Amino acid sequence: MSDAIAAARAEGRTLLTEVESKQLLQAAGIPVTEARLATTAKQAATVAAEIGFPIVMKILSPDIAHKSDVGGVALGLANATAVRRAYSEMMAKVRAAAPGARIDGVSVQRQATPGTEVIVGATTDPQFGPVMMFGLGGVFVEVLKDVSFRIVPLEPRDARQMIREINGFPILEGVRGKPGADLAALERLILQVSRFVWERREIQELDLNPVFAYPDGAVAVDARVVLAPVAAEVEA
Amino acid sequence: MSIERARLERTLNPGSVVVVGDKGPNFQWLSNLNEFSGPVYSVQVDEKEIASIEQKGYRNFKSITEVPGEVDLVICAVPRQVTPIVVADAIKKGAGGISMFTSGFAETGEPQAAELQRRLVAMCHEAGMPLVGPNCMGVYNRRLGVKFSAMQEKGEGGDVGIVSQSGTHGIGMTLGAQRLGIRVTRTISIGNAAVLNECDYLEYLRDDPDCPVIVMYLEGARDGRRFFNVLRETARRKPVVVWRGGRSRAGARAVRSHTGSLASDLAVWDGLIRQTGAIPAHSIDDAIDTMAALVFTSEPRGRGVALIAMTGGQSVAITDQFERAGFEVPELSARSYKRLAEFFTTIGGSYRNPFDAASTIGRETDNLRKILEILAEDSAIDGGAAIELGARGFEQDPSRLNAQLDLLDRFRERTGLPLIAMMPVGGAMGDAEEAVVKARAAVGARRFPIYPNFERGAAALGRVATYHEFRKSVGARAD
Repeated sequence: MSDAIAAARAEGRTLLTEVESKQLLQAAGIPVTEARLATTAKQAATVAAEIGFPIVMKILSPDIAHKSDVGGVALGLANATAVRRAYSEMMAKVRAAAPGARIDGVSVQRQATPGTEVIVGATTDPQFGPVMMFGLGGVFVEVLKDVSFRIVPLEPRDARQMIREINGFPILEGVRGKPGADLAALERLILQVSRFVWERREIQELDLNPVFAYPDGAVAVDARVVLAPVAAEVEA
Repeated sequence: MSIERARLERTLNPGSVVVVGDKGPNFQWLSNLNEFSGPVYSVQVDEKEIASIEQKGYRNFKSITEVPGEVDLVICAVPRQVTPIVVADAIKKGAGGISMFTSGFAETGEPQAAELQRRLVAMCHEAGMPLVGPNCMGVYNRRLGVKFSAMQEKGEGGDVGIVSQSGTHGIGMTLGAQRLGIRVTRTISIGNAAVLNECDYLEYLRDDPDCPVIVMYLEGARDGRRFFNVLRETARRKPVVVWRGGRSRAGARAVRSHTGSLASDLAVWDGLIRQTGAIPAHSIDDAIDTMAALVFTSEPRGRGVALIAMTGGQSVAITDQFERAGFEVPELSARSYKRLAEFFTTIGGSYRNPFDAASTIGRETDNLRKILEILAEDSAIDGGAAIELGARGFEQDPSRLNAQLDLLDRFRERTGLPLIAMMPVGGAMGDAEEAVVKARAAVGARRFPIYPNFERGAAALGRVATYHEFRKSVGARAD
């Protein structure tokens, strides 16, 4: 289970790739969309065919924080040809926009059915240690700051409350005829992440953003795990 | 590092006090002890000061070790470079504990000053010596008359224990509370919290039956994890108000996630307070308002309140504020309305709930008795009652206000429900500010929570209701 962490440590990295992050989360029983690594256009097409279309392809680079800003995200790829073409285009765009960035390939995953976007995250507070965050997800999360925090480890009542105390909670209950989100599934996911970061103290930061919340279930479609520097890990 | 509770007990409830290094012309530390029940000694080596100290009637010694008998509390006000000598002498003497007013330690950010603090901490740890501070005002104990401000009262305790990282706010909260008739059992100004930290004090107050309500002003936590655990445990047993000051994070670090960048101190503390069931306060007024509601009201059964204002406009305003604070202002039963109709003046008044009552009770206090009796018997009112009181005429003749308070007392005794009073300056029944302040003090003296406006009263009662709901939801019972 610690393969991804060991691999990153061996390379002196503290930022895990999306593929590594999701492997780790999946092993902990946290629902994520499966992401697989491809390092050539041909391999991307083969992996895509195995997973099933439509496909989302994202650049894998430890040096790039905001993938969409550099042309590192391609959505709705419907067939193998589209995947191959997207791979070549993405490499060209990213190399132009972020020259010198290390590129490990791409992550290939099935495009999930859109759901209500929420963010579930964890970070290490200098005073309180591991803490968790919940909020409405997506690109505006840092602008709206409609999030709630709890100290890890959480109890079921904490998960229940942190979902309900954000201002945007009515959106999760369902508005304008849309069905509500599966709140029990979100609570479960929050508690799983709480257990995960409580047991794995070497994880300093974690973003599941977005998590798609459905009327039935919830799944993290993007994930980022940041490890503590090795010295800090000893202290913890 | 744990300090024995017995040592802390001696420090916070001293039977004897030694003041080291107090200075003229005011000798503030010695003067603050002029009502102290036990012996007070001075330690001072400066001949100029010694003369004045002895003239004031204190016995002075050159060292703590020379002081006769047991020493429970050493108040240290010497220059910082002398503090290691004072600590060493206190240890040698076997003193109960030290309260260190001296500042100029880690709070300065100077490496040498931080080193000096570490040295004191090491000495105290080795000797198991409780040290309050440094850089603090120390210990106030109302029953014993140990004070760090001349304006702190001596008398019965039993209502509240206060812990404050700031000396100013410690004094401010104590004085604000006592103006409202609250008996602050003890206040501890904790300063740099170098040996004893917020967790030690919170644990002490948790187990102190003389402090059924706890109020804390904190800018940070020395031991965040332990604080979280102690706070969670304490809030299930008794109400803990946490006023958190200071919003900036020291030494901001690089974050590489949305979560990390959104985890401001404010956001994390806010989550911590909700999670533990503590009661949030965002200002000194919040803290004192909430304290008054906690001390002077009992647990409500629900959120349905009766609101009695004096005019139509005020009855709208009071309703707005209580609804905003999460209360319901329910209609009363048909039976209640029938009884109210028998005597209530509906020309220029209304009794739907809210009540627009000046024309009915303005002259005839007995009508207030009737209203309160009807409310006490109406099951829709399960969250308590709030009433606007006037100060007009109070100074010439307090009997009318006192008669009203007698009736309010009867209501809360009979129903077991909260009753809060609001007395705005000006307004329909109001008066000049000075008169209102006196009238408010009279209401506080009868142990009613009193507020200068509806907003603050509603918010305070709302926080109390939320706290009781929390305690019910986690299945906790009051101590």
